[in-house]
Amino acid sequence: MKAFEYLSKIDRRIIYLVIGVVVILPLIFPTVERVRVMAPAQSLFNAVDSIPEDMVLMIDFDYDPQTMPENEPMAVALLRHAFKRRIKVAALSLYVQPLALALKALDQVTEEFNARAQTSADSIIYGRDYVLLGWQPPPIVPLLEMGISISNVYSTDYYGYRTDSLPVMQGIENFNDVGILVSISGGNAPLWWVGYSQVLYGVAVGAGLTAVSASDFYIYYQTGQFSGLMVGMKGAAEYEELVESKLQVPGERKASEAMPSLTAAHLAIMVFIIIGNIGYMMRRRI
Amino acid sequence: MSFDFWIWVSAFLTLCVFSFLYKDNPFYKFAEHLFVGASNGYLVTIIWHGSLWPQGIRPIFTEGNWWLIIALIIGMLYFTRFFPRTSWLVRIPIAIVMGYGTGAAIPATIQADIMRQIQGTVLTPQNFARWNAGSSGVIWTILLFIGVACTLSYFYFSREHKGVLGVTSRIGVVFIMIGFGAAFGYTVMARISLLIGRLQFLLGDWLGVLQ
Repeated sequence: MKAFEYLSKIDRRIIYLVIGVVVILPLIFPTVERVRVMAPAQSLFNAVDSIPEDMVLMIDFDYDPQTMPENEPMAVALLRHAFKRRIKVAALSLYVQPLALALKALDQVTEEFNARAQTSADSIIYGRDYVLLGWQPPPIVPLLEMGISISNVYSTDYYGYRTDSLPVMQGIENFNDVGILVSISGGNAPLWWVGYSQVLYGVAVGAGLTAVSASDFYIYYQTGQFSGLMVGMKGAAEYEELVESKLQVPGERKASEAMPSLTAAHLAIMVFIIIGNIGYMMRRRI
Repeated sequence: MSFDFWIWVSAFLTLCVFSFLYKDNPFYKFAEHLFVGASNGYLVTIIWHGSLWPQGIRPIFTEGNWWLIIALIIGMLYFTRFFPRTSWLVRIPIAIVMGYGTGAAIPATIQADIMRQIQGTVLTPQNFARWNAGSSGVIWTILLFIGVACTLSYFYFSREHKGVLGVTSRIGVVFIMIGFGAAFGYTVMARISLLIGRLQFLLGDWLGVLQ
């Protein structure tokens, strides 16, 4: 009976150690795990894929280093999709901290495409193919005012260029010219876009979410308020799968590479929950 | 293994934070204090260069937008909080922010969170189709309707949960528990994802073990 008592009181450090081992081993010895694409990611992919030529994909980078492992692969996959399809991208952030991460993702994907480009037309060029609008406090200002005029809210971009002088912004006046706005966030920013910008101006909104907030957001997908979702690292892996399989865009797939570790960790936690419950029930019986 | 100094700094700080898993220690405290200090320093600098100077002070002195002084003064009233004799003045900027924020938020919340959610629960062909499940969409929509109605009945406390109300509230509890289970599963996934992200950095960017 001591064994059951021990099982129900396993030292948390042993649990951490086991979780560490089951996460590390699949990273070092990778196995192929096919990512099954679910409807929310597929819907988002379809919505982005169908953006007309004269409209822009607006990406709200609202994640910080705490949620970067989940959110960054989403941003990278989304940018690969847009650049491959030559969809114009306007990036922004509602808060200041994510700006550096937005810049990192944009630079990474731009370099990937430019390394394979043969001509200027194939290249991804700042100002022609994408713009980083920057950050405009407080968040309510871009949420509401971009429905009237984007260049009034962001008169200059992140680098100080006048936004109305950039080729990428020609013909892009307000939310009517935004094909879809995708908010990649570790918090509630996607709901603000729905609550303010969509309610007032009808802009289509998609979201890249951390898994911890997923259950709060799914209801908005079910009602059609979100055109599509990427949920957690799994959602990012699904989008990576879509971009590679449908558009043949190569590149590092950080989320997909993490899937075996994620599966192993989930199994380990399930085993611990079962062991804990068996230990608890057996002790009660004694 | 990386030869980049800053990768080594990042790896050291990551290990300092991970050391808390064993027990609290000076390395963890060092990393924690460094994080708070660096974050605040970064924030103050960015707010000065990205907002206060280009949108507040520079337009006043170089473009002659003198009316912005009023906004700056109202904003600065937040600092009166530090002085007991004038601390009541902080109510002015708080009142303005609350008034504007509440005015903007109430219609948005009613429309996006209440009206659209009620519409999404009603048994209509449009809602059946949203499940992308063919004819099974009808079943899922009915299940959703039962779940919402029963869960709401659980939170009706003006009558004792007996009879019909007792049955519906117990069904509601089942739906609530399923919701908690899903939320817990997603939380586990989120936390493990963050661990994986750090391990990808340590094993890949720092040690170069990952291909």
